[in-house]
Order: sequence, then structure tokens, then C-alpha cells
Amino acid sequence: MGMPGRTGDHQWSQQHLSHYVEGELRPRARRRLDRHARSCVECGRGIRAMRALVYAVQGLDGLAGVRAPATIFDRVRLAGPGGSSSSQHT
Amino acid sequence: MPPAGSRAPDSAETDASLLARAQAGDVSAFERLSSAYADRLFMLLLRLLGDRGEAEDVAQEVMLRAWRGIARFQGQSSYFTWLYRIAVNEANRALEKKARRPAGVSIGAQELQLPASPAYDPSRQAENSELRRVLGQALAELPPALRTAIVLRDVEGLSTQEAAEIAGVSQAAFKSRLHQARLRVRAAVGDQTLVTTGG
Repeated sequence: MGMPGRTGDHQWSQQHLSHYVEGELRPRARRRLDRHARSCVECGRGIRAMRALVYAVQGLDGLAGVRAPATIFDRVRLAGPGGSSSSQHT
Repeated sequence: MPPAGSRAPDSAETDASLLARAQAGDVSAFERLSSAYADRLFMLLLRLLGDRGEAEDVAQEVMLRAWRGIARFQGQSSYFTWLYRIAVNEANRALEKKARRPAGVSIGAQELQLPASPAYDPSRQAENSELRRVLGQALAELPPALRTAIVLRDVEGLSTQEAAEIAGVSQAAFKSRLHQARLRVRAAVGDQTLVTTGG
């Protein structure tokens, strides 16, 4: 079997952009995607977009400082010691 | 009783001793052990469910299930991972239940917000605000399993190994879900928007 063609490289690259930005590709696979992206505008932009996406999602921390409600243990308290299966054996 | 999510700083009790007492049926030990993770767990539920009222309800259920199951916890994972796994399962259960309801009940995206940029630039702020809205919407529309993957890995910043364990799948399966989630969000937001405002 010969080397994959440009179309094959393109489809393969698009499928591996997430793994690429995660740094999870093996060196040979990474070189393959690098080589293709240098000559493919769409994949080059795809890498930048995927990096930007991960960065933006990592910034979804508008909940910093949110506290758990005081009621979080209400059902546990209602269940009491009998609510834990351990108390049935000890 | 200290507020949920905090533990008295002078506490000399270790998680191990609290766990042993909780497993013997001590409710207060269970509360002290779990309250250390309560805030983070509640934020996870808010991110997965997108609705404060529902997150509060599910958070109570998570703690009840953890309490009922703590005797069976064998320490093969950390207590945090175990608790998070219960939370993810309960959140997914709630999302599936919600999906079966009649149309018109949607998952809110208001809890999924990017922080405001510290440098004030009106045009940039508007772009970021739009990105926040579109990203939040895209995440809210993901199927529960994909949403869980991107929230655990990218928002919560957990390692792939830990996130996979919490999601209850192999690392390979988790990576596949994460990749699918990113592809869908990327398609929904659009490369141009991401490259110009998200980078």
C-alpha cells in the first residue's frame, strides 16, 4: 500500500486535531499532521480554532466562588444512620 | 454545623479516619469528609445541568447515594473521584429524564460563563460576550456523555485518566468522546469566531 494521498491526509488530520492539541499523537503522526497543515489552510486554521476552543472552554469558570447550598446534606440527615448500609451490618 | 464546602482548619482528623467512621455509620463524619468537596461538586453539577434549582436537588441526591454506598467504597479510587462519579451519573440521569420531557424544556446555558476580560475594551468585551453566549449554548446542546467529557477535561481541568475514571469509561473511549465534543462545539461556534475572539 502506498502513502496516503492529500485527501487521505486531510481527512485524517481533521479527525486528529483534538489529539494533536492535546499532545497525544505519536511523533510520526504529529509530523504527518504538521506536514499537511503547512500546506492546508483549512487544517492550519483548524489547529488554531481547536487551540482557541480549548482555551475558551478552560475559561468557563464564571462559577468561581460559588458555594454548595446549606441544604446539600438534608437528605442524608433525614436518612440518618439507618440510611447507610453500613449501619445494618455494624 | 460549618457551611457545606468547608472544614474547620484546626481539624486534625484525616480523610482516612473520617472515612472509617463514616463507613461505621457516623453521619457527622460523612458530612465532614464530604463537605470538603461539596463546593466543587456543586459547581460540576451546575456546569452539567445548567440550572441552579436542579443542581441543588441533584446535589442532595448525590450525597444521599454516597452516604448509602459508603460502606461499599473500597478505596480503589480517591474519595473525590468516587464522589464525582456518583455526581456525573446522577447528573446524566437527570439530563436523560429532562430529555424525555416534552419539548420546550431546555437546558439553560447561563451557568456556563466565561469570566469578563480584565482589560476594558468595549469591542473586545462584546466579542467575548458573544463567544460566551455561543459557547454556553453549544455546550448546553451536547448529549450528556459528550458534555460530561468536555466539562471534566477542559473546564474542570482533570487529567484524562481521572476524567475517564469518573465518567466510567476507558481512557480511549473518553478521548473519543472528548474529541467528538470538541468537534461539535467547534462546528457550532465556527472557526472564524474562535480564531478571532477566543485565541
